[in-house]
Amino acid sequence: MPLAYGQKSSTYRIESLPSSHLLKVLGFREGTQFTVQSKQPFKGPIVVKIGNRSIAIDYDVASEILVEEVGHH
Amino acid sequence: MSHGIAASQKNPSNGKIKILLMGNPNVGKSVVFSKLTGVHVDSSNYAGTTVDYTVGDINFGNKQGIMIDVPGTYSLEATSEAEKVAVALLEENADVIICVLDATHLERNLDLAYQLKEYPIPIVYSLNLMDVAGRQGIKIDVDKLSEELGSPVVPTISIKNIGLRELMEVAIESSKKQVEPGPKLEDQERWDKIREIANKVQSQVDREITFIQKLENWTVQPWPGIPIALLVLIASLGVVVGGGKALRAVILLPLVRQVIMPFLSKLISFIVPAGVFRNVLVGEFGILVIGIEWPFALILPYVFLFYAVFSFLEDSGYLPRIGVLADGILRRIGIQGGNIIPMMLGYGCAVPAILGTRAANSNKERIMVATLVSFAVPCASQSGAFFALLGDRSIFSLIFVYALSILAMLAVGVILNKMITGRSQPLLLEVPNLLLPDKDAFKKKLKLRMKHFLVDAEGPMLIGIVIAAVIAETGILNEISKAIGPFVQGWLGLPKEASLSLLLGIIRRELAVLPLLEMNLNTLQLTVGSVVALFYLPCLSVFAVLTKEFSLKVALLIGLITTASAFLFGGIINHIGSFIIGFMG
Ligand SMILES: Nc1nc2c(ncn2[C@@H]2O[C@H](COP(=O)(O)OP(=O)(O)O)[C@@H](O)[C@H]2O)c(=O)[nH]1
Repeated sequence: MPLAYGQKSSTYRIESLPSSHLLKVLGFREGTQFTVQSKQPFKGPIVVKIGNRSIAIDYDVASEILVEEVGHH
Repeated sequence: MSHGIAASQKNPSNGKIKILLMGNPNVGKSVVFSKLTGVHVDSSNYAGTTVDYTVGDINFGNKQGIMIDVPGTYSLEATSEAEKVAVALLEENADVIICVLDATHLERNLDLAYQLKEYPIPIVYSLNLMDVAGRQGIKIDVDKLSEELGSPVVPTISIKNIGLRELMEVAIESSKKQVEPGPKLEDQERWDKIREIANKVQSQVDREITFIQKLENWTVQPWPGIPIALLVLIASLGVVVGGGKALRAVILLPLVRQVIMPFLSKLISFIVPAGVFRNVLVGEFGILVIGIEWPFALILPYVFLFYAVFSFLEDSGYLPRIGVLADGILRRIGIQGGNIIPMMLGYGCAVPAILGTRAANSNKERIMVATLVSFAVPCASQSGAFFALLGDRSIFSLIFVYALSILAMLAVGVILNKMITGRSQPLLLEVPNLLLPDKDAFKKKLKLRMKHFLVDAEGPMLIGIVIAAVIAETGILNEISKAIGPFVQGWLGLPKEASLSLLLGIIRRELAVLPLLEMNLNTLQLTVGSVVALFYLPCLSVFAVLTKEFSLKVALLIGLITTASAFLFGGIINHIGSFIIGFMG
């Protein structure tokens, strides 16, 4: 499932992602786990939490990141 | 200081030490830098790039030298301009690297920390933000970390000046060492290693979630983030407008009008005989009258308060959050949310706003932001003039002018997005911690910004005022007014003296407004005059920056579009307004 469809407060693991230097150095790699912290209206960015860092990802980029749900709270 | 000077000091044999200060973005590097360096701080552009870096002098014990504040980067793969500059500075060699780590995000920071080991330069790590880590319940075993990294690690709280002395001592000590470059690891290998280190040295004890952490979460949620953002903007506006008005009315105007001016007029009337020359100095449009009252009493308080508020928000880590919230809407007009920061800076001055678009954006976005800012964002000086002109006489016109500016920006944004080809860069950013700004760093920044304003703006403004005085008092204005008067009177409905506004507005944006102060205009005329001034030519400095950053063609085009729209909108509002008034009266 693309990350863009992720639900707030759900936890996901990355299955595949576009090759982007910035994504990589921000800590997005295959297998990385994170929680969706917020979603913005009008196809705004998805904010995710990796560990205790918040990272905002453009909606289109989030559409290209494929994730698998691993939990919800 | 130029790139050449920094480069020429790479030979340490002169006894001076050269320190590279490195780290990820937002780790407190600028605070460490401003506390460790002296007064001779200078920023310069790295040749061939759009990246600036700062060099400062150090004087520690009996050791002298320089410290270079290398642009913050996440890695050293030279894929972005900032990384290229960081690598180039590393390759110029140095005596020691101080690498600042964010203790609250250790694992991410270790990537750069580890890559630095591939260079044959001694490293000292500053484990910064220890207070925030403590509040969040993060514990780090400093000795173990130092053992894993193979270099000294000094815990610091830079804004409280804790640990910085020791950091310098250790750095100077380390600079004497010879080090072998470490092995070059593959990405995956390095990441595995880093994860291992982080797991070994770091532990998390449960803490109650602090208010700041709650606020950090709220400010990236549409609810209550958007209402919070609006509150912050309204409060900022209140401080700038209300505070500026108070400063002006209570302190500056009385000071200028009742103390300084009477004194000067008396003085001048002793020295200079009555006549044209005395009028040029202290007449109605006299250089001394206007040259003191306009810039210092009407403009300066607003500019100062604007930069104080903006620098505070900038240093607190709040602005990127507004960028995140606004991204959805801004993308509709083809620019990403992060651009809201240079656009907000444009309410201070368009020059730094246009320069501020440099690093992160695509060319399309740069031109769009530059055009929008030049077109419809009133700078702090011009806002000061609007408040002086409209604030007391017609709040309605004041609100109308600002509402129109936002509508015009949206409309022009939509059109430009269609016209200019290319793509905007997607938003991808780490949202920084919310932190109370450091007093020293804040003061240094505000001082630098006010210095730029006084140097860049007051000069042209005084020149403009001199021209105004000369042409007003010598009768040249009458000639010009005769020539463009019919247009000004007929189409815009303004008195023919308003030609002076159009003339001076070429030099500075507020000078398109201020002459209207003296003309006894009615509400409609005030509104028309303000709208024309709002969209009219960007000032000379902006024109120069546009030419430098893009091309003369772009600058001329922007000038043409803005001026044409100014007259178009001004005329339309005049005619509709007159029609309505005629209809009702
Ligand atoms: N509480 C706390 N705040 C800090 C510390 N060091 C820096 N800051 C704050 O962190 C923010 C980012 O610092 P800055 O120097 O601008 O980061 P840079 O991007 O690395 O230059 C600022 O608001 C600083 O005031 C620290 O040790 N403790």
